[in-house]
Amino acid sequence: MPHDLNYYLATLAVYFLVYCVLTLGLNITFGMAGIFDFSYITFMAIGAYFAGVAVLPPSNQPGLQWILGLNLGFPLDLLIGAAAAGVMGLLIGLLAIRRIRSDYLAMVLVAVWTIAWSVTSNMIGLFNGQQGLIGVPQPFETQLGVNPNDYVFVFIPIAAVVLAILFTVAYCIERSPFGRALRATREDQDVAAAFGKRTVRLRLTAMTIGCLYAGVAGALTIEFLSAMSPNAWAIVETVIIFSALIVGGRGNVFGAVLGALLVRIVIIEGTGLLPTLPDHPELIGATRNILIGLLVIAVLYFRPQGVIPERRRRYFEARKPAADTSQEVAKGG
Amino acid sequence: MAEPLLSVTEVVHAYGGVQAVNGCTFEVPEGVICGLIGPNGAGKTTLVDVVAGALHLQRGTVRYAGADVGGWSPDRLARAGLIRTFQLSREFRQLTVLENLLVAATGRIDESLAGALFRRRQIAVAERALVKEARGLLEIFGLDPLRNDLAVTLSGGQKRLLELARAVMAHPRLLLLDEPMAGINPALMGLLEAHIRRLNSQGITFLMVEHNLGVVDRMCEPVVVMAEGKALAVGSMADHRASDAVVTAYLGRGRPA
Amino acid sequence: MELFLNSIGFGLVTASILALAAVGLTLQFGMTNYVNFAYGDFMTLGAYLTWTLNVGLGWPFWPALFVGALLMAIPVLFISQFVLEPFTRRSGPTFHILIVTFAVSLILSNLILAIWGGDFQNYNVGTDTPINLGPFILSVQQLGIIALAVTCMVAIHLLLTRTKLGKAMRAISDDKNLAAVTGIDTRRITTIVWVLSGMLAGLAGGVLALNVASFDPNVGVTFLFVIFAAVVFGGIGRPYGAMAGALVIGLVVEVSAVFIPSAYKLDVAFLVLMGVLLVRPAGLMSLFERG
Repeated sequence: MPHDLNYYLATLAVYFLVYCVLTLGLNITFGMAGIFDFSYITFMAIGAYFAGVAVLPPSNQPGLQWILGLNLGFPLDLLIGAAAAGVMGLLIGLLAIRRIRSDYLAMVLVAVWTIAWSVTSNMIGLFNGQQGLIGVPQPFETQLGVNPNDYVFVFIPIAAVVLAILFTVAYCIERSPFGRALRATREDQDVAAAFGKRTVRLRLTAMTIGCLYAGVAGALTIEFLSAMSPNAWAIVETVIIFSALIVGGRGNVFGAVLGALLVRIVIIEGTGLLPTLPDHPELIGATRNILIGLLVIAVLYFRPQGVIPERRRRYFEARKPAADTSQEVAKGG
Repeated sequence: MAEPLLSVTEVVHAYGGVQAVNGCTFEVPEGVICGLIGPNGAGKTTLVDVVAGALHLQRGTVRYAGADVGGWSPDRLARAGLIRTFQLSREFRQLTVLENLLVAATGRIDESLAGALFRRRQIAVAERALVKEARGLLEIFGLDPLRNDLAVTLSGGQKRLLELARAVMAHPRLLLLDEPMAGINPALMGLLEAHIRRLNSQGITFLMVEHNLGVVDRMCEPVVVMAEGKALAVGSMADHRASDAVVTAYLGRGRPA
Repeated sequence: MELFLNSIGFGLVTASILALAAVGLTLQFGMTNYVNFAYGDFMTLGAYLTWTLNVGLGWPFWPALFVGALLMAIPVLFISQFVLEPFTRRSGPTFHILIVTFAVSLILSNLILAIWGGDFQNYNVGTDTPINLGPFILSVQQLGIIALAVTCMVAIHLLLTRTKLGKAMRAISDDKNLAAVTGIDTRRITTIVWVLSGMLAGLAGGVLALNVASFDPNVGVTFLFVIFAAVVFGGIGRPYGAMAGALVIGLVVEVSAVFIPSAYKLDVAFLVLMGVLLVRPAGLMSLFERG
């Protein structure tokens, strides 16, 4: 295979792995706990920025300004990024996890995004303002001394290991009594409380875990791309992650992964292959977003549970597909 | 004499300007099936909500199992064994029937995040026991063949049974039932009645809001009659039928009894 | 002091734009009981329709604005009847319809981008002379915006209080089921209100774009959250609350720009929004009402 194609496919693989982290995190917050976290992308950005300033040296010249500058290496930066996002998620959660309607909550969380975006863009000293952080060293870049064109092949295993850990955690949560309690809370908070669930604590935990995942995804993003600016986390990105989760199927880890594949790779990269009209460079992005919007509406209408629905777990019994039909009959009464 | 399991004293709850519960006082001794009847708007459901912690206790005291539980949250009361059902069935729609029951077993299985990640073996052991208990209950209520169906797909009557089975799974000491017989057919009514009696004989105390006076007559002793936010009378149905005040409250004021 | 007084003048202009937008959003909420997150893009669409008539066809601004707002009826009817209505009729989980309005926003904003491009545009309105009105210095266009808003608010007031349609709207907003039982054709009224809401969005989008001088496809969305603040402040679904909210938020936003960097002035509205939602979700106006 020509090197270019290899490089392109490897880059796609990294994007896919990182996007899986995003959809898996949102699956816990929204898919399992039912929290309408419309500021989700903010926590990706927080993870990215804090990982960035953990790796970067202290800033010392005008035009390149940021806080901290800890000069740390991988994986400490990733942990710092994730922790920052998790702590922010917990704080925002304390504000937002009240008993307000989901559309009001969405408004509050969109407002959180707006404030975060405007503060980051306008306060240059925080994360270099509108220009964003650039030149962030990549993990093991200097130690391995690989050709920058081959670096992507170093990063794939890093991202894969991180995703494997987070996927396992998400899988354990989904199958645990904790996950079941989250889903019960999602279905009806009052009834969950009437059966002794500490619903506020459950929802806060789910929000924080989701934000940790977003923070890890952000840290991986800045480690791979070496840069992060406010343009990378417009509010539309949150809508696209929600779309991916809804299309793939919320409430289960495989749906989250499938959604990442369908939306991040098939649609976003697929439309990227369309020919560009020189006078209208914005058409590709527009086509991509219109397709995503149409897909979400179609999925919600024709298959509201997503391609892979939340699994109906059987407890301690062998799978007997034949028995299923007889049960359907028995239900008639 | 031992303290009653539940005692409600001078409880007040007003929405806006309406005094839905207005100085209500009565007691529920341990081991009974206590009925709570009264005309529409007498404040029965509001009282249940206040006792269960879903509505704020504005004035008065509620004592349950020897403790002043005024201001306790619904989840804390539930963990103390005070479980309630809802007037309209509120199942966890996208959970299976079996899971609906498993969720109710708060405190008998590790529901922490740390448990989910690090104590999976212990959880599997506990879960096996819970599933066994839950399936036993489902068997009794005739729902076991439907255990893997989503609760949302059940019929209205099945949802009623699920609601009761789920409440029993919580190991209640006091079970508040808000109109368990509303909107179900007579055959199912008999079945529910039998279940409630059986559970009562196993030691669960009931406080039951019910409109169907025939059911109350057969099952409940004592019966509290509420009108205009107050407990008008407490006694057996036979006493109430003989009481002018109770009959007037039911038929409305200004009309001959 | 002069700065402060002048900021009040600008505040009145912002409040006027807000009032048009907020009343449109809140009327629709009153009928359907969900928030339309695509409303910002409705406004953008109105701004661009006006632009096409004004710059493309050479019409004067104000006629272009009114015809642009009338044209809004077509896309809004399509979206409400063929995209949103099927979901409300099915009465699935409430979050479905929310996600659908976000998806509509995604589609609409990108259609606008594809049709009109991402460059900044201006209206063709000629030069404008500032006028001294007591302590305020405002342009003729800004006075036009205030006049338009006042006229529309009076018209809405008359609609709500003097007409059968308005009374039906209030009945639905209070209790949709009760209204249906009393023989009100809720479906028809809801459709009419969608069109009304779209036209108000069109007017608001046009005057917003006029006031910010040059605009791009994000013009409506950046303003959406300020509208939420105004609507929520007055209690969502209440048209008079939205008017009061628009006045308060408009003034707060512009006056705050005197004290803090103007880049953050819209954030003040978001803080108000969050504060109100967390303290009193029913809106501050509900403090002054009985029951």
